[in-house]
Amino acid sequence: MNKKIPIRVRLILLTIPLVLGLGLLTAALAGLSGSASAAPASQTPMSNDTCLTCHSQPNTSKQLGGETLLLTVEKEMFDLSVHGNQGVACVQCHTDIASFPHPDYSVGSKREMQLALYGATRQACIDCHQEQSANALNGVHQQALEAGNTNAAICADCHDPHYQAPLEEQPRSASLETCARCHSTIYETYTQSIHGAALIDENNPDVPTCVDCHGAHGIQNPRAAEFRNTTPQLCATCHTDAAIMDKYGLSTAVLSTYVADFHGTTVTLFEAIHPDQPTDKPVCTDCHGVHGIRSVDDPQYGIGMKENLQAVCERCHPGASADFPNAWMGHYIPSPDRYPVVYFVDLFYKILIPLVLGGMAGFVISDFTRRLIERRKGGMH
Amino acid sequence: MAPNKKASVEKTQTTKPAKPKSVKNKPEKIKATTSKRQPVKPQAAQQTTARDYVRFPLARRIEHLIMLVSFTTLGLTGLPQKFPTSDISIFIARLFGSVEILRAVHHAAATVMMFGAGYHILLAGYQLFVERSRLSMLPGFQDAKDALQALMYNLGIKKSRPQMGRYTFEEKVEYWAFVWGAVIMGLTGFMLWNPITTSRILPAEFIPAAKAAHGAEAVLAVLAIVLWHFYGVHLKSFNKSMWTGKLSEQDMLHEHPLELADIKAGLAQRPLDPALKRKRERIYFPIAGVLAAAMLFGIYGFVRGEETSIKTIPPLVGDESVYVPQTPTPLPTSTPIAASSNDPANLTWDGAIAPVIQEKCSMCHGQAAIGGLDMSTYENLLKGGGNGPAFIAGDSANSKLVQLMEKDIHPGKVTPEELARIVDWIDQGAQEK
Repeated sequence: MNKKIPIRVRLILLTIPLVLGLGLLTAALAGLSGSASAAPASQTPMSNDTCLTCHSQPNTSKQLGGETLLLTVEKEMFDLSVHGNQGVACVQCHTDIASFPHPDYSVGSKREMQLALYGATRQACIDCHQEQSANALNGVHQQALEAGNTNAAICADCHDPHYQAPLEEQPRSASLETCARCHSTIYETYTQSIHGAALIDENNPDVPTCVDCHGAHGIQNPRAAEFRNTTPQLCATCHTDAAIMDKYGLSTAVLSTYVADFHGTTVTLFEAIHPDQPTDKPVCTDCHGVHGIRSVDDPQYGIGMKENLQAVCERCHPGASADFPNAWMGHYIPSPDRYPVVYFVDLFYKILIPLVLGGMAGFVISDFTRRLIERRKGGMH
Repeated sequence: MAPNKKASVEKTQTTKPAKPKSVKNKPEKIKATTSKRQPVKPQAAQQTTARDYVRFPLARRIEHLIMLVSFTTLGLTGLPQKFPTSDISIFIARLFGSVEILRAVHHAAATVMMFGAGYHILLAGYQLFVERSRLSMLPGFQDAKDALQALMYNLGIKKSRPQMGRYTFEEKVEYWAFVWGAVIMGLTGFMLWNPITTSRILPAEFIPAAKAAHGAEAVLAVLAIVLWHFYGVHLKSFNKSMWTGKLSEQDMLHEHPLELADIKAGLAQRPLDPALKRKRERIYFPIAGVLAAAMLFGIYGFVRGEETSIKTIPPLVGDESVYVPQTPTPLPTSTPIAASSNDPANLTWDGAIAPVIQEKCSMCHGQAAIGGLDMSTYENLLKGGGNGPAFIAGDSANSKLVQLMEKDIHPGKVTPEELARIVDWIDQGAQEK
C-alpha cells in the first residue's frame, strides 16, 4: 500500500514498546535489588561493621532459661583470629542472618542455642574445612549427638569460631585443655601419667596428646573392639621408632616380643580376621594402663615391680601364684643373663635343627643320586 | 610245626625249640645261616612262590592313620601360632574361622595323638610281656654300621648296600625321632596348656622355655617328616605297606632281606603256647587296664584340669563417666557487670531506672539509636524515636515502652521485676531525679 502512516501514529506506536520495555526493566532491577538485600553473600557480603553495631557493645547478652549467653564479639580479637585474618564475614557463617530481628531459634537453654547455631552454620564449616568436617561427621562425637546426647562436642566447642588463634601458634598442650573441658577426669589422670607429665612439665615433643592417639575429628569410639584390637599398632607407632625410643633408653622390640608371645599372637591373628570383634586377650593398655600410664619403674604403679604385675595378671588369671608373672619375659629378648633357660633352649634348637635336617638332607641327596646313577646304569643294587 | 608259621619253605635244619625265655631288652640271637649276614642270592628266592608278606596288621595301620591325621592337623594349626604375622598363617586361621577355633582344633588333635600314644604303649606292653616278640625297633650298634655302609655305598665307596632286617636304620631313626618328639611336645604342650599349674611346680620361666621348645620341635618334626619320611616311603619308591599291610617278595628282598631270610628259615615267628599266652594275658590285661585308666585320667587332667583365665576381661575404663565437664565451664560466657546496687525504692531515673535501661537497652538504643530511639538519657527517652515518645508519664498502660516489654517480641527484654519497677516509676510520674 502506498499509504503512509502519519507521524503521530508512528510516535504513539513507538512509545508503547518503549514504555513496556522500561517497565520490565524497572521491575527486573527492582527484583534484583530485592534479592540482593536478602542474600548479600551472593554478591558483596554484608559488612561486619553492620553486625558489630550491636555485637561490639560489651556485655551484650541474651537470657536463655536462666543462663546468660554472651553475644559480644570483640573486634580486635576477631581480627587477630584465623577467620578474621582471612577476612571472613559474619554472614559467611551465619548465612541465615541477614537483618534484624534475627531468626528466632526458639530455644530454651544456652546449649540448645549452640546446637541451633551449629545446625545453621555447619554447612559453612563444611564448605571450607571439607576434610575435617567429613572426618568429624564420622566420629564418635557426631554419633553421640545423633543418638541424642546434647553434650557431645560440636565444632564450636573445640574451636572458638570467633577467636581461634592459628594452630601453629599454639603449644601442643592446647589440645589437652580443649578436651579437658568435657573430659576433665581423664585429663587429670593423664597429667599424672608419664606422657602427660612430660608434656606439661617440659612440653616434650615426643609424647602423645589426646589427638595423637584418638585423632582430632574422626575420633573412633575408644571403647569399641575395633579401637582396642588396633592398640598394639597405635602404640608401636612411637614405641618401635628408634629415633624416639633411643632418647629415653626404651626398647623398640616391644611389639615384636608381644606378638611372639601367646597374647600378642592371638590378638594379631584375631585382628587380621575379625577386626571389629572383641577378644579377651590383653593389648598394651590392659597391662600398662590407658591414660594413667606410668614408667614400668615407677615404685607405686610400675609393672616392672613383680607385685604390681601380679595384680595385673590376676585380673584375668585368678589364682596365679606370685611366680606366675615370670612367665612373661617383660618384652625382653632372652639372653644368658635374662631368662637363660629360654635362651639355652633356643640355642639348643638352633644347633640341633640344622644338624639333624642337614644330616638327613645330606643322606637323602646321596641316596637319591646313587639311585639315579644306578638306574642309568640299569643294574641292580 | 606250629600253625601260625608264615614261610612255606621248611628247612630241615631246625633250631632250638621255643622255650619261655625271658626276653629282657636284648634281641634274641638268630642262629641261622643268615647270622653271618651273607648276601642272599636272588636265585634262592626264586625257588619259592613269590608271595606277599604281612608287614602291618590292621590295628597298626589304623594307628598310623590316626597319627598321620593328628600330626598333620597339629602342624597345620600350629603353624599360624608360631608365625602369626605371615599371610599363610592368616589364611589358615581364617580357614578355621578364628584363632580361637584354630587353637581348639590344635588341642583336639593333640588329645587324639595322646590317645594314640597311649594305645601304642599298651600294645607295646602286650608284645613285650605277652608275646615276648623281638624288640626289632630297638636301635643298636649294627644300625650305626648299616647307616655308615649305606652312606658309603651312596658315595660310591662301598660296593653294596647293607642288608637289614625288619626295621631299617632309616625306619628306626623315624620311629625314635617320633617318640622323642612326642614326649617333648607332650610335656611342653602340657606346660603351655596349663601354665598356672606349671608355675606351681616349676619356675615360671619354664613356660616361655616350653613355648620355645614346642615351636622349635614342631619345626623339626614337620621338616623331618617331609625330608626323611616322605623321601623314604614316597619318593624313593612308593611304599604301600602302611595301606595294604603287605609287602611283596621283591620289596622284602630289597628292603628287609634279613627278615625275609628269617621268615623263610622259620625263625621269624616263634609259636606261642596258647596256655602260656593266656596266663600271661591274665597278668598283663589287668595291669594294662590300670595303666589305661591312669592314662585316661591323665589325659583328662591335661585337657580339663586348669581354667587358665576368665573369659571376659572387665573393661579398664568402666562405668567411670566420660563426660565430666569442668565447672565453671570455660566456654565463652561472661556474666554481665552486676547491676549497680541501687535502692529500688528510689524510683527515679537517676536512681533505680537508668541502670536497668542502660543495661538492657543501650546495646541497640544507645549509640546505635536503632529506630531513632536513644535511651541513654532521660531527655532522649522523653523525646522518643520513630514511634513517638517511649512513655507517657503517669500512664504506664499506654506507654509504648511498657506495651512493648509486655509483648515479649522485642529482642531487648527486662525481667518481670524490672518491668514492674518501670511501670511503678511511670505511674508515679516518671521522675528524673
